Order: sequence, then C-alpha cells, then structure tokens
Amino acid sequence: MANADIKLKIPSSVLYIDPVRAFIGNLAKNLGFSRKRVADIQLVIDEICSNAVHHGSSDTTVGVTLQIRSDVHSLEILVRDTGSRRTGQKHWLTHERLSEIEANRSPSNEGGHGIFIAKSLSDTYEMQTNAAGGTDVRVVFQLLKPAAIKP
Amino acid sequence: MDSTKLMKLREESGIKILEIKTDLSSYAASDLRKVLEGLLAEKVEKIVVNLSQVSHINSTAVGALVGVAKRLRQNGGDLKICALADNLTRTFNLIGASSVVEIYESETSALAAF
Repeated sequence: MANADIKLKIPSSVLYIDPVRAFIGNLAKNLGFSRKRVADIQLVIDEICSNAVHHGSSDTTVGVTLQIRSDVHSLEILVRDTGSRRTGQKHWLTHERLSEIEANRSPSNEGGHGIFIAKSLSDTYEMQTNAAGGTDVRVVFQLLKPAAIKP
Repeated sequence: MDSTKLMKLREESGIKILEIKTDLSSYAASDLRKVLEGLLAEKVEKIVVNLSQVSHINSTAVGALVGVAKRLRQNGGDLKICALADNLTRTFNLIGASSVVEIYESETSALAAF
C-alpha cells in the first residue's frame, strides 16, 4: 500500500456527508483499523463535516474540502470550510468560541457535542482559521499496528 | 432520499414505537427530529425508539432524542431507547446522554418500563 493523498470537495450540504463517511470508513478498514476504530473515525468525520456545513460554509453553493492522507502508520483528515458568504460569518470556530462551547457542554444539552466527540476520539485534533475566512479542522488516527504494504 | 420513510411508527398498549431503519448521520438526524416533533405535536406522551437496525448515530440525532425525552417528561411522559449496537452505546456514554435518556436492551424491556 502506497502513501495516499486524496482531495475531495463536496457541496456544503448534509446530503453529501454520508458518502464521505462511507468512503473514509472503507479506507480506514482497508488500512487495517479495527471495526471499533472505523466507527470512531466515521463518527468524527460526520461531526466535523456537519459543523463545516452548518457553521462554516453554510451557503450551499460554497463547498467543503477534505484532504485525506494515509500511510502505514496513520490516517490524517483535514476538513476545510470557507466561512459563510450568506451570513458573513467568518472563522466560526475561534479559540474563544471553542472555550465557550466546551465550558457550556452538558449531557442534557441537545447540541454542542460535536467538537468534544472529535477531540475525544481522535489521536490528534487541531483547529485553526484559514486564509479563506473559514476554519480548518485536522484530525489524525494512529494505526496501532502498521498496515502491510501492498502494491 | 427522504429518510423518514425508513422510520416506521407503530403502537402497542398506547405507546408509540419508532423503529429506525437507517443510520442516523447528519442527513437523517434532521428527519428524526421532524418525526419526533410530529409526535409531540400529536400530544403523544410515551415513545420507544428502537435502534436495533442503526449502525451509526451522531450527536445531532442523540441531541434530538435527549431534547424530546426532556420535553415529554415535563408532561409526565417519556422517551426510552432500546437495542443499541455497542458503538452506539459508546456514543451515548461519551456524550453522557445515557444518564439523561433511559436505555434498554430490548424493545420488550423498554415497553415494560413505562
């Protein structure tokens, strides 16, 4: 298995999150992640993409970009939104907003759990603003046992 | 596709049973909320949500279930969940929702808990 660098761009709609979740789930499975870990990865992707669609590129004509890198040791996924042209909302996930979301998170709340899930289930979680006025969220999942290399 | 077609409603002993036959990702979660809101509008008080055919649930769907359970309890009703796969149980536990919504191993035990 060679290292892979894959780019996907989807319209900013929840309609396209399921196919992305399926693709990344199959990739993770082929890389050798356990069934439990594949489920974790799929959940994290669902949460991050959902945030990018609802809060980031909330105008459906604006896309969400995914950059996926894999090798024998890890699966890395970067989800990039561009902020919302319609609402003018930029950099929705600032450090201040993140702190507020984390401080207010409660099991009895209906929302505000997505970032907590992504941080809890990924081995590395990073977020930062990007030049387009949106937010980049990068997650990495480590393979406990390096994948066998196949051509 | 309208995922509400994969959410089947039936009734037993005055309790509405919502059987979900699709994964509850971002797309289907909004449909789940619509179905549950519809039941609230009909003044339904007791709901069991059977998740035996669901292999994925996200926080939006969990939030919808939590929200409706809380609203039903204000009027003496409740929403109970049953038949979760292991990874769904882990998601509920991770969020902490398993301390808010009652979860049962089977539909029979969920119905009996009312």
